[in-house]
Amino acid sequence: MSNGAILLLMTALFLGFGYMGVPVAFALMAGVLVACGLTPISMQSMVGQMFHGIDSEILLAVPFFLLVGELMTSADVTNRMIRLAQTMVGHLRGGLAQVVTLFSMFFAGISGSSTADVAVLSRTVAPEMTREGYDRAFTSALIACASTMANLIPPSIMAVVYGATGNVSIGGLFLAGIVPGVLIGIGLMIYSHLFGPAGLRKPRASLCEFADASRASLLPLMIPLIIMGGILTGWFTPTEAGMVASVYILVVLVPLLARGHIRHLPRDFVYTGLLYSIPLALVAAASAFGWMLAYLRGPDIVAGWIELVAGHDGRIIMFLLVVLFIVIGDFMDAVPAIIIFMPIVIKLNELGDINSLHMGVVLITTLVFGLITPPYGLSLLVASKFVGVAFTRAMLASLPIYVVFLATIAFTVLAPSVVLYLPKLFLPESVGCFKNPSGTGYICPK
Amino acid sequence: MVLCGISIAGFTLSVFCDVVTRELGRPWLWLQLVTTGFFAWGVFIGMAAATRRIDHLNLVEITKRLRGAKRSLLEITNRLVILLVGLAMLVFGTQNCLNDLGSFRAPSLIPLATYTASVPIAGALIVLFAIEQIVNGWRHGFEGPEDADDFAGIAK
Repeated sequence: MSNGAILLLMTALFLGFGYMGVPVAFALMAGVLVACGLTPISMQSMVGQMFHGIDSEILLAVPFFLLVGELMTSADVTNRMIRLAQTMVGHLRGGLAQVVTLFSMFFAGISGSSTADVAVLSRTVAPEMTREGYDRAFTSALIACASTMANLIPPSIMAVVYGATGNVSIGGLFLAGIVPGVLIGIGLMIYSHLFGPAGLRKPRASLCEFADASRASLLPLMIPLIIMGGILTGWFTPTEAGMVASVYILVVLVPLLARGHIRHLPRDFVYTGLLYSIPLALVAAASAFGWMLAYLRGPDIVAGWIELVAGHDGRIIMFLLVVLFIVIGDFMDAVPAIIIFMPIVIKLNELGDINSLHMGVVLITTLVFGLITPPYGLSLLVASKFVGVAFTRAMLASLPIYVVFLATIAFTVLAPSVVLYLPKLFLPESVGCFKNPSGTGYICPK
Repeated sequence: MVLCGISIAGFTLSVFCDVVTRELGRPWLWLQLVTTGFFAWGVFIGMAAATRRIDHLNLVEITKRLRGAKRSLLEITNRLVILLVGLAMLVFGTQNCLNDLGSFRAPSLIPLATYTASVPIAGALIVLFAIEQIVNGWRHGFEGPEDADDFAGIAK
């Protein structure tokens, strides 16, 4: 059997089992094990690859960022940030819709998980939106779309996985994600203002109310500073920054702001323990799948197709990859997608002489879009479930908002100088700059 | 589930001690090995626990829309796929683990097998849970109240 045929069989088995309802991690491994029977690769080495896939210190950041999100959510500290968002934008047209977006931007700086964001907003702001007469389909679509910012604004779990597998600076990816994250936020606010329901108009909060809300949110809003400050000053690795943020919540936030929650902390740890193992089991299986894909020369085949259309033009290669990842993001989770397709991405980076950090942020922005597109739009699925509206209605309500995401993706591809401005400023090495031998400043690639 | 909680609490503590001892200028290098040990065991034991709780991520929830014999057939087929993958993890993971008895991790020279043993143990648990689900499903059917709330496990 030729390599191409084995590749197709392996992929067909994964998708076939996946769509029959086999969990993704097991469907991936089933495809790999069948491919082992048709190649000289031993099943023993592929099972070993599952372990090697997660045997990376960088991936330890994933559970810490999930723990931060879980602790903040379950201790109800997030209410203070919602109140702050209300004093800032609650008086605008579609006030609660603006609050959803602004809060998501705040929360994205604390947690790397879109699902945690959806859970918080569905429990707190969504019922109030329904009371004010917002259409439930619009509410769930907006919550799902806003929650995607958690994967762009640092800390981002997708960035950690991308950096760990693609050998790209995670700090650089965090910084590069800020521009597309904020653009999506601004786009959602403009959309809600112009096309969303008006809601109840409320008076503008007074300066005193704003000051009170800011003071109450001061301690939770220190978390993004701790995480990014620690990474940028070189004090902590991303993993350690996640740990320090978790310890800060346990030692400072919970005792000061939610003392009654202390007795529930063991439950939070147990729950997060299970929660982090689910994406990392995917990482383990996807790493075996990606290894087999590379062995079967999958990257060469796909790179050949793309080269045929795009030649060596980096921009066209990027757009073709965006199209490919939009399709992939529709059908599978971002974490296995990143790991499985990383060998192809690396090959195409070389082909088009593309900056790996730029490619990383473009692909993460594209995969984030997959969280709200059917059939596997996880954020939209969860939001529609929590808000209590049919998935199809939520999807129809989110269709016009796709424009915001598509425009952001296009901007991220076409304006690398803007997207990479922050990494270039704070972490020049992450974009390929190196220290000037004369000792002053950096020399950067064009 | 409790083991998953112990694992995340364990590596939070070990990373914390790692940072503190490093900042004090007396780093305990072996802490990194403890951290990765807790992490790896947490991932694979969690993989088994998620199998039992049916919390793994799926591409679609097609089975929950079916009823009767069709549903049973598909659910059993799915569990058999999980069982076979679990069996592969058990058999080949044990072979890897035995090979790793002779490999050691610097600097404290802990046998690599103490980490890689997590794979066959998770495999054994997955096999047991898959068999448990097939037997229970065969006796009482696969339909249950969780069908109406299939995302409860993902985000509380």
